[in-house]
Amino acid sequence: MLRAEPLLRIQLLMLASEAQDAALALAQFGVFNPAPCTLDALEESPAAAYREAWLEAESRLAKLLEQCGESRLLQLPENAEAPVLADLQELNRWLKGVWSSCLASHESEAQIKDALSHLDALEETLTKLERLNVDLAHLLRQDSLLVVHIGSLPSTGMKRVTEALSMTGHLVSSFDQVGEQVFAVIAGPRARHEEVHGLLAQAGWRELPVPVELRTHPQAARAWLEQERARLNAESGAECQVMDDLRKQFGPRLYEARLRLALARPLAEAALLGVRGQGGLAALSGWIPRQKLDVLREMLEARFQGRYMLNQREPVASEVAEVPSLVRYPGWLKPFVPLVKSYGVPRYGEFDPALPFAVTYLLLFGAMFGDIGHGAVILLLAAALYRRLGPMAWVGIAAGAVSMLFGLLYGSIFGYEDIIEPLWLSPLHDPIRALTIAVAFGVGFIVFTLLVNARNKFIAGHVGEALFDSNGLAGLVFYLGAVGSVVSLTGAADFGEPAGLMAGAGILMVAGFKWVEAKAGLGERILVTAIETLETGINLFANTLSFMRVAAFSLNHVALALAIFTLANGLGTAGHWLTIVLGNVVIIVLEGGIVAIQALRLMYYEGFSRFFSGDGIEFMPLRLLPERVKS
Amino acid sequence: MSAYLNTRVSLYAGLLWQDEELDTLLGMADDAFVDTLTRHGLHGLVPGFGTPGRQQETRSLEQRIIAQILDETRVLIRPLSGNARTFMTYWTARFEVSNIKTLLRSKMTGESPAAVLAQLTPMGIFGRLDNQDLAHAEDVGELLRRLEAGPYASIVRHARRAIELSHDPFNLDAALDRGYYEGLIARGQPLEDTVGLPFRALMANLIDRINLVWLLRYRFNYKLPPAQVYYLLVGSRYSLTGARLQQLAALDSLEAVLAALPPPWQSRLSGAADIPDVFFRMERAAAEQALRVLRSNAPDIARAFAYLILRERDLRGVRAALRGRQLGLPDAHVRQALHRTPAEAS
Repeated sequence: MLRAEPLLRIQLLMLASEAQDAALALAQFGVFNPAPCTLDALEESPAAAYREAWLEAESRLAKLLEQCGESRLLQLPENAEAPVLADLQELNRWLKGVWSSCLASHESEAQIKDALSHLDALEETLTKLERLNVDLAHLLRQDSLLVVHIGSLPSTGMKRVTEALSMTGHLVSSFDQVGEQVFAVIAGPRARHEEVHGLLAQAGWRELPVPVELRTHPQAARAWLEQERARLNAESGAECQVMDDLRKQFGPRLYEARLRLALARPLAEAALLGVRGQGGLAALSGWIPRQKLDVLREMLEARFQGRYMLNQREPVASEVAEVPSLVRYPGWLKPFVPLVKSYGVPRYGEFDPALPFAVTYLLLFGAMFGDIGHGAVILLLAAALYRRLGPMAWVGIAAGAVSMLFGLLYGSIFGYEDIIEPLWLSPLHDPIRALTIAVAFGVGFIVFTLLVNARNKFIAGHVGEALFDSNGLAGLVFYLGAVGSVVSLTGAADFGEPAGLMAGAGILMVAGFKWVEAKAGLGERILVTAIETLETGINLFANTLSFMRVAAFSLNHVALALAIFTLANGLGTAGHWLTIVLGNVVIIVLEGGIVAIQALRLMYYEGFSRFFSGDGIEFMPLRLLPERVKS
Repeated sequence: MSAYLNTRVSLYAGLLWQDEELDTLLGMADDAFVDTLTRHGLHGLVPGFGTPGRQQETRSLEQRIIAQILDETRVLIRPLSGNARTFMTYWTARFEVSNIKTLLRSKMTGESPAAVLAQLTPMGIFGRLDNQDLAHAEDVGELLRRLEAGPYASIVRHARRAIELSHDPFNLDAALDRGYYEGLIARGQPLEDTVGLPFRALMANLIDRINLVWLLRYRFNYKLPPAQVYYLLVGSRYSLTGARLQQLAALDSLEAVLAALPPPWQSRLSGAADIPDVFFRMERAAAEQALRVLRSNAPDIARAFAYLILRERDLRGVRAALRGRQLGLPDAHVRQALHRTPAEAS
């Protein structure tokens, strides 16, 4: 819980023809994180074609499922085998055929819809044409010297088309606009007709199919329009029937396709990181928990009966940055993990801060927002919103509970300080004590972070930094000495001399380390050492004082309540209670939000930044189904 | 606009290449070549150079060059907001429009999704398309439908009818390019109003150059009729206005077009023998203009845009030098490909 599980790097060599089953077995194993294969001797990528076929098939299946709505829960048989490449390619071809049929119907539907809307526009247009005092029969004559087009084009291109056509002696006259389409008549000399073909195509010109009847008897066009509409509706019905038939015909097989693609997923996913091979051999590499090695061996043996070779080794120091971190958290701690991971993932071997984070965050929140009433409201709100917030609601519930606990200790309920006696202290009545406790807590917290950092550096093999750096043991010695000196100065204790010596020794060690580490000329080295050493002292001092905000916010909480009571007491009964209620709402929303952020800020900047690099890689096991489907 | 942008542009300006420096790349030893690239902030182009197969660089040289441009643009737009940010972001969109062309072509030729994905330029934070999804579209129709539901709907709609009526890739490219540059002008307009002359000069140089080169290419290489040529050009209010472009498109030869240009252009293009020559000269003039803006105390957004124009020109030169070395081409040929007119190179 406090650190990632020890992992082993494994390399599984098997027959290339069984690679898909090996990947499936590793996915069923549940804790295999694939990693790039580093065997230089294996130059081929035997799973690349497999992945390509899978991606294509998966994409087609997703589109088909969208059309057909096949969403039964997938039941993967325990002893199922993953499809081989040829099967996958055949499945892909089948899906392509089915999708092409669907697509053709879909495309026809879209075209019919488009044609119907065009027909509507045409009807409107014809109404206007009927009113024109134009002899269309004469105008559209084939033997005329003029060529006349009636049609539509996108309104955005109208100006440009008009200008371009004017270069060929053509005139454009618009007579209607429906949506983004402008209806127009284009007329020009027949001799230059050929010059405008390409231009009209580029411009998206759509010729109106003016019925013969319109040329002589415009009223007859109505009948023609109705006929066209009936024909298109019939076509649309036929296409819908085709789609229904396709659904009936292929629906059951789609479930099988989903199943086979789910079984093929592990190798396709592993191939992304590089399954290597040569000849008839294939190799899969990755990380597994050390304690699961025997389980994996047994499983492989049962499945492949000796037709495999499994090599394993401990991670070497040079690759620690590439080793994923697998940390198992108890259920109650899981809601806090996203807050830690929003800062970063701990490196393999690093101390995992989730547990101290959860404890300290709650303590800080409770200390800054201690009130039985307000805590209860937060708790109840979080519980009420459980469905929407999911597991994160537990953070709110826990924060509310701790706030209530501190409210009991402070004797505060909805800002009233005189209803119950404080079990511990009232920040308003004893602010100096509250500030002292906050700073003392900060000292303890910083000591903890320095110790954790020293441990992390030591584990990572940076012994020098662990011992002598400003955030290592030397920094800790200086810090403890400095704190002791300050405590002695206040008269609270009498160990000023040894504490001063300790602080001096600590800062000298830090300065010595900075001097050794600074790779520069003499002048720059002196400057770097002096500044960095000074920074060590200032940072630790500032970070410690930063914890005074814990007490300051607890005082602030009371002060805000007092301000509301003062306002409320100046009003009548209704105004009084309205102000009290609204004021408490403001306190919960505004101050509660600020305190939640401040507690997080203290954890991130005064805590994590000292020992937590956050640049680790999360353990992402090979899975049978994508995470979103599983959940 | 901001001290950050001002400082950034000034720092980046130090990475630009002098013309002579590009020349010296041609005869340089490998180590010195790599050092020079690194000094100019182009360490991203080094992998694979001179050591084929050793580095695990899967991106093509062109993809790495675009990645460099995108990375610098990302840094430059940090302090920008509003119209300036919109414009600079849209400036990068031409790489994504190029991806759209690649995707549409791949569907016309039936290439596999994996093959087309390998050709697409990774857009990083500027990417607005789901390339995986688009590459797996079954055909051009499905791809266009998906594109029309995305951020480039307005540009793609221009292309849709063109592609439905003729499956000629030229129609597609012309429609997409025109759609993109009209979008650029629309996004540049508010900046021209606020930033003023330096920015307008850069835009004018860019759009006029594109219009003239397209006009010459469509008219004399593709032999399109004047009206269609005019339609395919970008609507512009700069030196080459609509009326002027109509007049130029109606002419019958390269010489006649050059002779009919405004006087400052005539002197710049006098003696140009062919369309690439016209392009080189126009680009050089645009680069000189951009350099003037970069070195002036023009508003930061204009200087940033000028820098990106110059950087892209430099990178084309570096690409020519890198390709020339990789293919073992004679220096004279590579020099031709660098950003010089043939007359200057000799």
